[in-house]
Amino acid sequence: MGAVKEKVNVKSDVVLSAEEIVIKFNLRGKNLTAIRGCSLELHKGESLAIVGESGSGKSVFTKSFMGLLDSNGWIDSGSIIYKGNDIASYKTEKDWLKIRGKEIAMVFQDPMTSLNPLKTIGKQVQEAVELHQGFKGDEAKKLVLEILNDVGISEPEKRYKQYPHEFSGGMRQRVVIAIAVACRPNILICDEPTTALDVTIQAQILQLLKNMQKKYDLTIIYITHDLGVVANVADRIAVMYAGDIIEIGTSEEVFYNPQHPYTWALLSSLPQLGVKGEDLYSISGTPPNLFKEIKGDAFAPRNPRALKIDFEIRPPYFELSPTHKARTWLLDPRSPKVEPPEAIKKIRQVWGGK
Amino acid sequence: MLKYSLKRLLQSMITLFVIVTLVFLLMRLMPEEGYYGDRGDKLDEAQKEAILTDMGLRDPLYIQLKNFYSDLLHGDFGTSIIYRPKVPVIDILKDKLPYSLYLGLSALAIALVFGLSLGVLMTRFKGKIGDKLGTGYIVIINAVPAAVYYLLLQLYVTDILKLPILFDSDNPASWILPAVSMSLVSMASYAMWLRRYMVDELNKDYIRLARAKGLKNKVIMVKHVMRNAFVPMAQLLPMSVLYTISGSIYIESLYSIPGMGGLLVDAIQRQDNPLVQTLVLVFSSIGILGLFLGDVLMAIFDPRIKLSKQGGGR
Repeated sequence: MGAVKEKVNVKSDVVLSAEEIVIKFNLRGKNLTAIRGCSLELHKGESLAIVGESGSGKSVFTKSFMGLLDSNGWIDSGSIIYKGNDIASYKTEKDWLKIRGKEIAMVFQDPMTSLNPLKTIGKQVQEAVELHQGFKGDEAKKLVLEILNDVGISEPEKRYKQYPHEFSGGMRQRVVIAIAVACRPNILICDEPTTALDVTIQAQILQLLKNMQKKYDLTIIYITHDLGVVANVADRIAVMYAGDIIEIGTSEEVFYNPQHPYTWALLSSLPQLGVKGEDLYSISGTPPNLFKEIKGDAFAPRNPRALKIDFEIRPPYFELSPTHKARTWLLDPRSPKVEPPEAIKKIRQVWGGK
Repeated sequence: MLKYSLKRLLQSMITLFVIVTLVFLLMRLMPEEGYYGDRGDKLDEAQKEAILTDMGLRDPLYIQLKNFYSDLLHGDFGTSIIYRPKVPVIDILKDKLPYSLYLGLSALAIALVFGLSLGVLMTRFKGKIGDKLGTGYIVIINAVPAAVYYLLLQLYVTDILKLPILFDSDNPASWILPAVSMSLVSMASYAMWLRRYMVDELNKDYIRLARAKGLKNKVIMVKHVMRNAFVPMAQLLPMSVLYTISGSIYIESLYSIPGMGGLLVDAIQRQDNPLVQTLVLVFSSIGILGLFLGDVLMAIFDPRIKLSKQGGGR
């Protein structure tokens, strides 16, 4: 990673940098804090996986990069710097249209519902081509056929005229990816791109995304709770819990040298680490209530080995390496030594050959 | 599509056949006194018998039915027996049909234009005051019996807007209130369902994708949301045709419009069998045509509906 400094704190290969983002929602007159001061730097050409359980704010956080929050949500504070502009301050649709598709595109979870059932596949891809690449009519169609071919749809001429219901789930996800790619974005956000697909198709789609990344020079954010997907594709992993990234590092670092108790718990519940005949590890309790202000470490109430300070003061990030940092008091030199659970030590044995 | 249309046409013929037969039989169940009108007291048995025989009512039922069918097949709808004796039913209808047709079509047009616009506006301002006012209108139309607001319109709006209270074929202004009154029910249902279907579509994933693609909100609304919401809306077309027919029966007598709606009521009361039978045939044909159009429209809008394969979209 070249650390050429252009401006203060902005490395040349950082394409997007979110700083201390706070996102709130208004629900039935009450305010809920979904993202609590979350920061993230995205490097050019990398694959970053954001993992965490449902409701941890993975989707909400990344949706805020495109101004796609639901109408009752807003960015309360913080900044998202993209190409020198703070897009967190964008308010109007006109502003966001400069970002959506053109700069950042998205692949959604469920291909069965993310295509308009009443428009032909071709037309739906063509919309993106016409919008962002400035082609019209036959020229645009030619490009569409090319892109369809790129994402592995055979006989694109014939497929162009077909409707989504004539496609299988995997094929539809290819079309959704084609639409995203047709926008020629810099950043591609994949919101659980394989969750709704069966296992054999999952691998194909991940491979396709990898190919597209190479061909179109994309930076990809994967949002997922499937750690198998993560291990497959991610250069870096960010672990989210209750609206904050509590640990981030390279794939190797997070898998083999996790530091935060939540990361431990998450990895311990991997079925691959289970012992036959024994119950699989599961995290007790539920995520915190986001309507209330969270004190200290959000995971403390569910952490059997939480320290006293975990309930009182929110831990800062402790850096383990230039790429690896975690928000836990365990890394403070003053804290007692707490050994990671047994399962974590086994990861290296199980997946060591990777 | 053609195969489906033909099949559908055949089904419609059967439906019509059953309807006219039922009406024919029901009319034969009416008390015989009805046929003499107010002359009943003055006639003796022989005269009464002569009148009935003259009308063909003394023939055995199956003969009457056979004659009825064969007349229908030859396009002969018979002559009126009481309403305007010896005048062919077709001639009577020729005078009446234009009024009902123009009135019905203008009501349908008003309902479509304003109902759909109202639905779009309610979606656009969902949850705001405009949406709530629209909902209020829909609730009132559905909850209050039609007669009440028809009468209120006739009583007060004529006064306020200086519109004629009764229909006059030479005065175009006298069309306005009947047509508007007749469109109120359909308008409410168009607005309600369009809003509902559009809000439904708005929450679907493909709209999120369209937004993420960078499409303008307006484009999404027109090209994706509205177009898709029109598919289930096509089902409403037959319903509003039926509303319009039933509305016409009441509205026409309210404003003294010389149309078919009033005629039907009249003909039933006076037991003018051929007239009733023909009117029912006309009304049910319009209803069936509406249903057919609804199905075809839906198939045109939605490629997933293959009419010819399963033989029916609903």
